[in-house]
Amino acid sequence: MGELVIGIDLGTTNSVCATVQNGTPTVISNRTGYRITPSVVAMARNGKRLVGALARRQAVTNPERTVVAVKRLMGRRWSAKTTQEAIQRMPYSVVAGPHDDVRISLGEQQYSPPEISAMVLTELRLDAEAFFGAPVTKAVITCPAYFNDSQRNATKDAGRIAGLEVIRIINEPTSAALAYGFGKAQGERQVAVFDLGGGTFDFTVLHMFKGVFEVEATGGDSLLGGEDFDNRIIDFLSEPFRQKHGTDLRKDKMALQRLRDAAEKAKCELSSLKQVEINLPFISASQQAGPLHLQATLSRDQLEQMTADLVKRCMQVCERVLGEAKVHAAQLGDVLLVGGQTRMPKIQEEVRRLFGKEPAKNVNPDEAVALGASIQGAMLLHDEQEMLLLDVTPHSLGIAIAGGFFQKIIAKNTTVPTSAHHVFTTVKDDQTSAKITVLQGESETSADNELLGEFMLTGLRAAPRGAVDIDVIFDISADGIVSVSAIDMQTGTRQSITVTASSGLTEDEIKKAARSNEDWMLGQKEDPEFQDRKNRAEELFREFETLWPRLTRAAHNGLGQEPLQRAQAALSVARLQLAQRESDALAGSLERLERMLQALRGALERSQGGA
Amino acid sequence: MQNELQQLEARGDRLTHYELLGVSADADGGTIRRAYLEKSKRFHPDAWYRKETGRFGPLLSKWFQRLSSAYQILSDEESRAAYDSDHRTELSQTDRAALDRRELSRAEEERRARERRERMLRTKGFARIGAARKLYEEGQEYALNGERTQAIFALKAARELDPNRKEIVTKLVELEREQSRARANSALASGREREERRRFAEAITAYAAAFQNDPGSFAAAMGAARCAMESSDARAATIWASRAVELNPEDAGARMMLSRLFLSAGMKARARTELGALLSKNPDHKEAKALLRTL
Repeated sequence: MGELVIGIDLGTTNSVCATVQNGTPTVISNRTGYRITPSVVAMARNGKRLVGALARRQAVTNPERTVVAVKRLMGRRWSAKTTQEAIQRMPYSVVAGPHDDVRISLGEQQYSPPEISAMVLTELRLDAEAFFGAPVTKAVITCPAYFNDSQRNATKDAGRIAGLEVIRIINEPTSAALAYGFGKAQGERQVAVFDLGGGTFDFTVLHMFKGVFEVEATGGDSLLGGEDFDNRIIDFLSEPFRQKHGTDLRKDKMALQRLRDAAEKAKCELSSLKQVEINLPFISASQQAGPLHLQATLSRDQLEQMTADLVKRCMQVCERVLGEAKVHAAQLGDVLLVGGQTRMPKIQEEVRRLFGKEPAKNVNPDEAVALGASIQGAMLLHDEQEMLLLDVTPHSLGIAIAGGFFQKIIAKNTTVPTSAHHVFTTVKDDQTSAKITVLQGESETSADNELLGEFMLTGLRAAPRGAVDIDVIFDISADGIVSVSAIDMQTGTRQSITVTASSGLTEDEIKKAARSNEDWMLGQKEDPEFQDRKNRAEELFREFETLWPRLTRAAHNGLGQEPLQRAQAALSVARLQLAQRESDALAGSLERLERMLQALRGALERSQGGA
Repeated sequence: MQNELQQLEARGDRLTHYELLGVSADADGGTIRRAYLEKSKRFHPDAWYRKETGRFGPLLSKWFQRLSSAYQILSDEESRAAYDSDHRTELSQTDRAALDRRELSRAEEERRARERRERMLRTKGFARIGAARKLYEEGQEYALNGERTQAIFALKAARELDPNRKEIVTKLVELEREQSRARANSALASGREREERRRFAEAITAYAAAFQNDPGSFAAAMGAARCAMESSDARAATIWASRAVELNPEDAGARMMLSRLFLSAGMKARARTELGALLSKNPDHKEAKALLRTL
């Protein structure tokens, strides 16, 4: 066994952590025993940071300070239209950051999306450390294939803030294919991965041969996912309500959170049922009519109708990518379904129709991505099984040229790592600097593509125009991350390139965030006092449990219900304090519980003595 | 591995794509792909992740990229054909023989396929629909194997048999578009290569082919204009430069070239118009200003 390395599927709604143990990829359960951790972060009223199921559970009562689906904001520019659309539906407050990036307001503090993601990653890291009983510092993190350079960098930054060395960012569909192909016969086959997660859709065609996984083409939509299906249900529920009562529930944060939960639940149930009832009592109140309730029925047919365009968008992406890979749908060996939303029967039906075959059954749509990431980690660090991944860049890379045009330098679907160069000439006499605008995208007009950064070439030799040739080299690493360097061709000197940050965090900000996260973790882990209190609490819970049957009998025989109810209330308070790691408050509760236990024991003895 | 890298370095640019991938020049698409994947397993930087590669590290990544660009070129029918004809003299004796063999067997196969298509085209009545479907499926098969030309032939025959089936036409249009794109790209690349070697007449032919296949290609028009100027063919240069200006009216370089050409042909008024248009977009263009003053 070499260095410890984990694979993390950092999802829009849920995250999963895995590792390869004794040659077998395994999901690491979190410390509460679940294999999936909701990607939810909240600031409780007392200022405590809550992550995962705990944060999700309190979302209804604390919607403004609960962050969900932060992945949709990763690496996005504040000024982008897509960002403004995405934040419309967010119950928490999103504001502009200092580098045209976005920040999330939680109470007094503002956090960048990578910092919020880092809290989820930290939680998973602590889970992994509990699993191994040893520190974990290395990880492979997945991202949608369609993520661009800034989104990938933001994901990498999140890892760094969480104290993880991100040895690789890999694409989610590729990762799922690794999990599928792991340990399979050496034969040659072609598979497609249909990955519809909480927030993004990706479609990828791969070719496998003797442990080499070659991505042939990939494409997707970074703003299409399970949440869009939920939003359709939310609209379906709140629109008639608005017409009837004149209240838009979507504007009420607490109601919106309840609607969101109900919509997701209904959607999941409709994967197996034909029709569901949705009941949301006391969802709102009006001055005249008093409390208002929401009651509705939703059938599978209705859901399919209201989401038909979303499903169609997915299928169009599939057809386009198949064309790019020059593959006919019927020719594929297997189709893998990944992401929770692929459980929807309509989607399975459309996939069956397009590909003319049943989707592969032996892939767990929730876990495959994390398992694949852990395999990639083992492949890199432990020479796992002579496997290799040949991935491609999902977007073309190029520069802005005169006339507002975009010149491609590296075409999309090129295998990474790759590099290409382009020779620039000075256009003015004695020109000493030149601005180069690097873009990612497919449009011929530069304004329609994603701006990666602007590079100033400085310190050029003063010479007549056209006499200075600068060779600019574009590199895309195996992670899909872009870097640019330049060489003066006549003198051979490497030019200094200054990058004007277009979005995201600066190096200093990342370091500062990583330090404060480290402090928080130390506070969590190295608290022997809390550890003692935790052990004592668990002991007390057990003692109460064993005593409970006798107490219930005694309650009927003259002791009365009241002491039992008091004990129960004290127990649930202590449980909550334990979960939220409120050490001092817990100490007080423990004392009270101990007094109660003694009193109850005494009462039991007396009643036995009296009998 | 180190020996292998040193050998590759020693042979450098003289290595053909076939030799690099370790396949014979008549290898089919599947063989080329498998050879590439197996070689990647050893050359991809990930195979050496965190291992001491010392001065061989950069070599590994250089040769992996060479490998993948060789694969890219050989895996497309058009670019492979262009590569074969451009580099024929560099191929070894055996590879040249293999290439001839491949061309011969292709010609034979094409002849047989053509005869079969002609037979099927003579089908009468309802059977025509079935025959069309068969040809359509054949076309798909060809397309998958990267044999675009054959696929287009098969689909054209299918269309003739059953002109009402939309999917045949759709697939045909898609393939034809793909074909011109691939042709334009490889012609553009060989135009650039020839221009670099200062073989201007041949470069013009290649650029013209690129332009024919992609009438929106500014790069092809500009390339042809540059080469025509180099070979002092002012008339051709003027035609190409005006095409370039038409395609990208805001490009200062193209307008500048065209103004010069008009001027040397004595067409002062037209030169002045061009320079005016240029300066309205780029008021600080020194060269244009200077030229306008001399007028």
